[in-house]
Amino acid sequence: MKHTLQQIFRSPNFVVGFSIFAVIILTVLIYPMLIPDPPLKIIAQGTFFEPGIYVNTYDTFSAPAYTLKLEGADSKRIASKLNDEDRLAMQKWLVGFGIPENEIDIQNTEALLDLWNTNFDPSKRFQGMTNADRNYYIRLNNSVQGLLSTAPAIIAATDETTGGLVETDRVQQSDYINVSQVSNVRILPLGTDNFGRDVLTELVAATRVSLMIGFVAGFVATLIGLVLGLVSGYVGGWVDDGIMFITNIFTVIPSFVLLILISFSIGQDKRGAFTIATVIGFTSWVWTARAVRSQVISLRNRDHVNLSKLSGHSIFYIIVNDILPYIASYVVMAFILQISSGILAEAGLSILGLGPRTTEVPTLGLMMNWAMIYQAHILGKWWAYFPVIITIALIAFSMNLMNTGMDQVFNPALRD
Amino acid sequence: MKKILYVVSLLVIASMILTACGSAATEAPAATEAPAATEAPAATEAPAATEAASSEPADPNSLPRNETLYFNGQQWGSVVGWNPYSTSNNNGMAIAQQDNARVLMFETPYAYNMLDGQVYPLLADGPYTWNDAHTELSFGINPAAHWSDGTPVTADDVAYTWATHVKYNTPTGAANTAYIEDIVASDGTVVIKAKLNDDGTAVNPLVVQAYVSTNYVIQKAWTQTLEERTGGDATALLADTAEDVVFSGPYSKYFADDSKVVLIRDDNYWGQDASMFGKLPIPRYLAHTIFKDNAAGTTALTAGEVDVSQQFNSNVNLLWEQDGLPISTYLPDAPYQIGASLPTAFYNLKSPGLDQVAVRKAIAIAVDYPTIIANAMTDQSATFDQAPRSLMNPTAGEQALYDHAAVADLQWAGNDIEGAKKLLDDAGIVDTNGDGWREYNGQDLHYVATCPNGWSDWQAAIEVVAAAGKEIGIDITTNYPEWAVYQTVVTASDQPLPEGYDIFMMWSDGAGPTQPWSRVRHLISSEYVGMAGNWNGNWGQYSNADADALIAAIPGMTDEAEIKSAYTDLVKMYLTDVPSFTLMYRPQSFHTVNESVWTNFPYDGDGTNPPVPPMDLMDGWGVAGLYNLELVNP
Amino acid sequence: MKGYLRYFFNKLAWFFVTLIFAFILNFTLPRLMPGDPVAAIVSRLAQGMSDASGVQAIYQQYTELFGTNKPIIEQFFIYMKNVFRGDFGFSIAQYPRTVADVIKSSIWWTIALQFPAIIVGWILGNMLGALAAYVRGGFDRIIMPISIFLSNLPAFGMAIIMMVVFAVWLKWFPTSGGYGFDLIPNFSWKFIWSVIIHYQLPFWSIVLITIGGQAIGMRSMSIYELNADYVKYSRFMGIKDSKIISYVFRNAMLPQITGLALSIGTMVGGALVAEIIFSYPGLGSTILTAVLGQDYPLISAVTLIITIMLLTANFVLEIVYGVLDPRIKSTQAD
Repeated sequence: MKHTLQQIFRSPNFVVGFSIFAVIILTVLIYPMLIPDPPLKIIAQGTFFEPGIYVNTYDTFSAPAYTLKLEGADSKRIASKLNDEDRLAMQKWLVGFGIPENEIDIQNTEALLDLWNTNFDPSKRFQGMTNADRNYYIRLNNSVQGLLSTAPAIIAATDETTGGLVETDRVQQSDYINVSQVSNVRILPLGTDNFGRDVLTELVAATRVSLMIGFVAGFVATLIGLVLGLVSGYVGGWVDDGIMFITNIFTVIPSFVLLILISFSIGQDKRGAFTIATVIGFTSWVWTARAVRSQVISLRNRDHVNLSKLSGHSIFYIIVNDILPYIASYVVMAFILQISSGILAEAGLSILGLGPRTTEVPTLGLMMNWAMIYQAHILGKWWAYFPVIITIALIAFSMNLMNTGMDQVFNPALRD
Repeated sequence: MKKILYVVSLLVIASMILTACGSAATEAPAATEAPAATEAPAATEAPAATEAASSEPADPNSLPRNETLYFNGQQWGSVVGWNPYSTSNNNGMAIAQQDNARVLMFETPYAYNMLDGQVYPLLADGPYTWNDAHTELSFGINPAAHWSDGTPVTADDVAYTWATHVKYNTPTGAANTAYIEDIVASDGTVVIKAKLNDDGTAVNPLVVQAYVSTNYVIQKAWTQTLEERTGGDATALLADTAEDVVFSGPYSKYFADDSKVVLIRDDNYWGQDASMFGKLPIPRYLAHTIFKDNAAGTTALTAGEVDVSQQFNSNVNLLWEQDGLPISTYLPDAPYQIGASLPTAFYNLKSPGLDQVAVRKAIAIAVDYPTIIANAMTDQSATFDQAPRSLMNPTAGEQALYDHAAVADLQWAGNDIEGAKKLLDDAGIVDTNGDGWREYNGQDLHYVATCPNGWSDWQAAIEVVAAAGKEIGIDITTNYPEWAVYQTVVTASDQPLPEGYDIFMMWSDGAGPTQPWSRVRHLISSEYVGMAGNWNGNWGQYSNADADALIAAIPGMTDEAEIKSAYTDLVKMYLTDVPSFTLMYRPQSFHTVNESVWTNFPYDGDGTNPPVPPMDLMDGWGVAGLYNLELVNP
Repeated sequence: MKGYLRYFFNKLAWFFVTLIFAFILNFTLPRLMPGDPVAAIVSRLAQGMSDASGVQAIYQQYTELFGTNKPIIEQFFIYMKNVFRGDFGFSIAQYPRTVADVIKSSIWWTIALQFPAIIVGWILGNMLGALAAYVRGGFDRIIMPISIFLSNLPAFGMAIIMMVVFAVWLKWFPTSGGYGFDLIPNFSWKFIWSVIIHYQLPFWSIVLITIGGQAIGMRSMSIYELNADYVKYSRFMGIKDSKIISYVFRNAMLPQITGLALSIGTMVGGALVAEIIFSYPGLGSTILTAVLGQDYPLISAVTLIITIMLLTANFVLEIVYGVLDPRIKSTQAD
């Protein structure tokens, strides 16, 4: 046993696969200890907040202000509201309005804005100008108002007795705060999703659940497949025929269709993560059963098995002692593959809206499904779906690598 | 058995051939689709095709981009039929007899305009008139109106359409026989006779009036052909796909398969008469690609392959703010669309605890509506600050129908956790055993909030409702059954709602000629209590005799002040008893346009008079927008 | 020969027994789903209807039409009788369209997409696998992990990434549909070209995933064969390397062919994802909408077609193997 393990860990494929898997498992275990937030808590009002550091604006007012005289601060501020495209668009409007193009200097912000403010009229429409353009110009006009002002922003509070505004503070354009001195800062490394949940926290929790689903599905599938395969292969005769008949029926009714049908029939209200896992396992044991059977058939006439038969051991004893050990390595590998295909099956089901119920636990498939429903991929909100795809692929990848590594160890013929 | 084997072997052989071809099989769909395709348009649309050819020798197999207006969100799955008597045509481009009837291929006498609440003559000649007793409604038919076969549209057609609806008990017939006695043609005038009460007044003049803008006029001669073909059998009549149907509207079938539906303009359309639009609608073709889901539709919209989108495009504003695409909605800023219907959470009033107003109201005021609107609807709903909750939708016309000040004290803005707690404490519904959940009659308050699975915005909204419950010591969990199951449970009002349906979402009526009366009725009238197959409303089984009396009286009222006071009373009852509560506003139709090719779509303040409503250029008076379109690059 | 005939008839008998049971299951399983599909039709018909008895009447009419008011045994025999006559009845969700009509309009898309994709994926995968086994070294070390990684990308993940990259960002290919949004199907180059262009993304998203799995399998089998005694013996005998290689790969292919025949079963599942992401017409989404709309007749018919295809492929395979490989017969006879 020890020797086998040593051998396995000498296989580079296995080691790489195992390392990836270990990192995933460790993240799943350690992350919740560091950030104990419930993964399904809706924290954002609004959808798909970008990854980044979120600083509480209100608290920045009470944080100590520092004055930094930095070059280019003004131009950055202006550029954020009036970029080169906007300038060109302004020029286009002004030309359409009738101002000669050579009189418009789009790099001179002050002159450009002057010209703009005196001439812009939202009700004007030129040939080829769409309503979308019109809306754009109105938005642009609003955003450039007061752009060149150097006056401080005034913070005021409502006076409770009079109801009027009372100035409490002024924020200069050269005021800075130190982020570490703001009392509320939240880092969202992967932003938020369509529900306004923290994607990273959710992803970690979902990975945990998906791994469990894969494990349960793999366990159920392997167990059914192993038992049926052993019995069918060893006992033979009409038992074999019967089991192979059932296996054949499960082969010809496509498992995915069966999966959809069963999931739909169970109904979303009863589709917990474990129910789904069991259903997946129940529809994917066929290959294991076939493979185990053929292995057993080739084993059952070996000398040591015949010897055991002659010694009058029971079928159960023979299966456990003389057959199982010889196919154990194979079963372990099949189990690993079943786990990874179970995870993929859950994701496939969820993307069709037939996955586990949404609200109890996140799963990788559900995250993917909701990201698609709220069109994250069209809106360029990569953080809501891309990490999910990669996580699924990495889990399956690591397991398959481990499997290949073990294969090379157990089948010397495959070795280099 | 032999047959099956035969079929099987054919299939196998076919598949073998295909696989043998390898990459050559890429052409297979073309080869297999081609015969069907050439057959379909040619057979049914031969005259139209020649017409198109005469004015412009274009490739009949491609739709010139600058003559075609593309839609999405109207047609899901393939078209089943073109039969205006049936409601199961799954034909989103041609057939929808509803409050805002789809009038591209078939036409109603009047077209409803949701913006001003008026109806405008379409096939009819001038406004309709009531007789003095308010029991008979009459209107003439525009003399210019004619069918696609050239024969004039007559009052007789209208009468015969009704007679057919009644004779075959079509959905339209069944829905209206309780209110309409008969429709007759006399001297070229259509007279709709209302069903009368014992006292000689009309049962419901509002419904009678709505008939003229919700139901198509169908040609008598064609109807008779259809009857002959189907031998007088109602099921066969409704199941007929009516490929030969005669129509009066500006468009008709050009092509339909699993991937798309195309309508082509009828260049002899009567509406080009000066008495109507004075010209033909601008696009020659109206096309709708059939997408598998919203995401695919939105992708096509952003790619400029869709001009008018009747779809929930999540975060629609990002399409122009972030991606700079020439896309816009009816309103330039949030809520982007005109809200018309009220997706509503109903309480099962028989659930223990939910029979208490305090519990119902506490949950309702604790819910975080801004989050629902921001996250579930991605801001595409008016907020409850903009349109305070009532039984009315956010349109100005309906908002003016009740006294806002009179119900101001009853309003709530949501997110009022303290207020909700106080309400429950005052009612004596407190947590006595310290498990964190309040009890009523010794039982923990535990509810299940539910809506159909896959209805994403509703699911997201229900999540927020559940979260509110937990804040105030009421355990609310969520559950999403499949729609197929959900609908059978919720509409079986003759049976008590089962466990798992304590708080559940359903819709309310949108904008239409009988609104807001019909919506109010559907939300709170007790006539739906105990009804089997209740597709109308009041699924929570609320009953209030005062409300019933007002609902019965309003259709007969003519005095505006009286109507306003009646509606105000109804809103008061609704906000006091809280039998259900609105979670957000939803537009009648989503209306988002991409101006890459076409422009001059309706938008708020576009100066049209009467204003063209944002009904995707096809429903009710929205169809008038088709005549204003211009090419961006002519 | 006598032994083979026995083998053949034995297999044939199993073929029919399995077919009958699968037929029964195909009929029964969809009908065990909860919910009432007729209620869904009625809901469509009854829009705006406020008259309860009217709704009731329509409901009765349609339960009668679809026979859902009869006991399930009776429904089964009626169904069986009709199917033998080649009549699959009306689709419930798309009534009054017939099931045959619905299937006819979608099945060719699926066959034209899936068969070539699976075949191309299989051929490319096997070539890569064989090459990796033969060349080894750096090539193998790169090809193997990439293959494993690709085969482990979820099908929808691959489809979405391809769509975002090639259709949304690069705009090399269209985003959706089976042919151009501005075309009417016809027999012209323009149309065929459009079909080919629209074909690429769904096609490659399936091929890429298939390649990985096949390459891994083929590589293992090839290495196994390359290390076999007969190879060493042949080398020792001085037989030309190319000759040996051709034997090795022919032997390694055999199990791979089994896999190919049975991957028809995964066809519909694989098609589903590509069809949904790319809005591609086909059988996969037909069956999904049928399940969601509880369209019993349609579900039964589609699953029956798939079942028959699989069963036949399986049967043909066993028969052919029986001829090719005497060992199979002997294990059977055992």
